[in-house]
Amino acid sequence: MERRNFLGFGAAAVAASMVPASLVAENFRETKPKMWQEATSAGAIKDMYGTTDGIEGKIKLKAPKLAENGGSIPINIKTSVDLESVAIFQDANPRSAVAAFTIPEGAIINYDLRMKMRKTSDVTVIGKGRDGKMYKTVQKVEVSIGGCGG
Amino acid sequence: MKLKAKMKKDIAKVKVMFKSPMAGPEEAEKKKIKPEFIAHIIGKVGGKTVYEVSTSGFISKNPLFKFQFKGAKKGDMLEMTVTDNNGKVTSESKKIK
Repeated sequence: MERRNFLGFGAAAVAASMVPASLVAENFRETKPKMWQEATSAGAIKDMYGTTDGIEGKIKLKAPKLAENGGSIPINIKTSVDLESVAIFQDANPRSAVAAFTIPEGAIINYDLRMKMRKTSDVTVIGKGRDGKMYKTVQKVEVSIGGCGG
Repeated sequence: MKLKAKMKKDIAKVKVMFKSPMAGPEEAEKKKIKPEFIAHIIGKVGGKTVYEVSTSGFISKNPLFKFQFKGAKKGDMLEMTVTDNNGKVTSESKKIK
């Protein structure tokens, strides 16, 4: 009887340890193909997370208030909240989604990248915490010369 | 791809620059080229994922990404794998300094 229990426990432990590994390797291109085609931030966020609400002020978004060159806008996302994924959206381009990060457990969230924007619009950064809560930050970026091949 | 990884105390700091026109369908039409942009980037150390991002054509041309992670040490190999929208896969490994 003990042996049976022991084996059962072992199998359960293996299964439990396998789950996070498969969750980490989430390719949003494959799992959420619809969000990449949405024109508005609200639509794309709904496709990804199912809600557009979030606690504000927990994710630090560093972006220029006035970007002279819309072809290369430096964006920095920083937070101490334990997020499982975070994504960037804007309303200036034909489609809204810019990038979606899958965050491995225990990672430092401090990501830098450069994006393109055709015109002035809001940039939304929204993420889902491991506690199941949503976090978001919105900042307006003014663009004087549009990027995106304009 | 240009890849630099450096340890600072127990944190690995990585800078990586990719060569890609990052042209979505609209932009490609204007420039009369085929749409080509990076769709997915993944960074691994010893088989463990340390960085993963799915991207669209609205990242800048020849994009530069910076990120940090814990749990690596000097001499570990960092492997970056990039998939573009046409399914082309490029990967490069570099020792963490």
